[in-house]
Amino acid sequence: MTSYDDTQVALPTAGDETQTLLGALDRNRRTFAWKCFGLSQEEMQRTLAPSTLSLAGLVKHMALVEDHHFTLQMEATMPEPWASVDWDAEPDHPWTSAAGDTPDQLEELWRASVVRSRGVVERATLDQLAKYCEWDETPNLRRIVVDMVEEYARHTGHADLIRESIDGLVGEDAPR
Amino acid sequence: MTDTPWEPPLSGTEAEALLGALDRLRWTVRWKADGLTAEQLAARIGRSTLTLGGLLKHLAVQEDYAATHKLTGAPMPAVWDANGWDSDESWEFSSAAADSPETLYATYDAAVARSRAALDAFLADGGLDRQVHVAKTVGRPVNARRLVCDLLEEYGRHTGQADLLREAVDGRVGEDPDPGWRPSPGW
Repeated sequence: MTSYDDTQVALPTAGDETQTLLGALDRNRRTFAWKCFGLSQEEMQRTLAPSTLSLAGLVKHMALVEDHHFTLQMEATMPEPWASVDWDAEPDHPWTSAAGDTPDQLEELWRASVVRSRGVVERATLDQLAKYCEWDETPNLRRIVVDMVEEYARHTGHADLIRESIDGLVGEDAPR
Repeated sequence: MTDTPWEPPLSGTEAEALLGALDRLRWTVRWKADGLTAEQLAARIGRSTLTLGGLLKHLAVQEDYAATHKLTGAPMPAVWDANGWDSDESWEFSSAAADSPETLYATYDAAVARSRAALDAFLADGGLDRQVHVAKTVGRPVNARRLVCDLLEEYGRHTGQADLLREAVDGRVGEDPDPGWRPSPGW
């Protein structure tokens, strides 16, 4: 798989664990993308005070989280552009640097990270333990996927309110 | 109990991972809404009509609906007998402003307790593959796994909305409750 397909994984109503978890994750990605994209660079930078979150920052953050959670944790390699970031100098790099990115750059960055993550998941099983771990106990891929569903849903909740304040777009699911 | 009882297991089974993630969100929502006045629970931001009180009441409804109608076909608990859904499908959101903070917290806590017990009892007999009652309404098989995943997504989304609402009310931010935090009695 080399390109991004937003309808790759279907979410079954009576599927097994892998189908359901990965389907739920992909539905969350699709909803997140619907809420964040289709705007100008200026619109993607807007915030809903007092929060400093922007859609641009959310997209770049999620691209990092995709690569961190899947590619780094499961395969112990950190892809670019993250590997070259000086994290000590720029601990909030995704949030701060997103201000200089165009909508196309942000979308491309995020889609590439999703493609990498899907590849990682295809090469593993849900019981498989992470190879790289920052905690005392090593998570399995199951925990990582469940965390990602939650991470996407939560940030989509942020995007719900930010997007509504930008152009009035509301709704629960992305149109088919 | 540990300082962070909401943390799911890092390498658990499917049921432990899903129910653990759901419970962490319950704790987090409760923390995001906790300790506020009626006015603060009714505060809005931007163009949205969402409020923390409305989210608490909506999630209480979602918990009870999932744990009765969707799961087993049981009737909704009597606490919802007096409602305004005939004239306002978002009644739980719009009516929350008239409820006291004590009522909103107690309603939410009771719904969570019922839902936890109903899900545990259901899963003890057949696990996540077991078909749930709502399958009869939608006309195709639906298992408990999908029901829990949908509830997890619903919770995550509303927790994100609660993040921005709470920050606007008093500046409280954060991903999980502070270690050692506990909500009001009854949880």
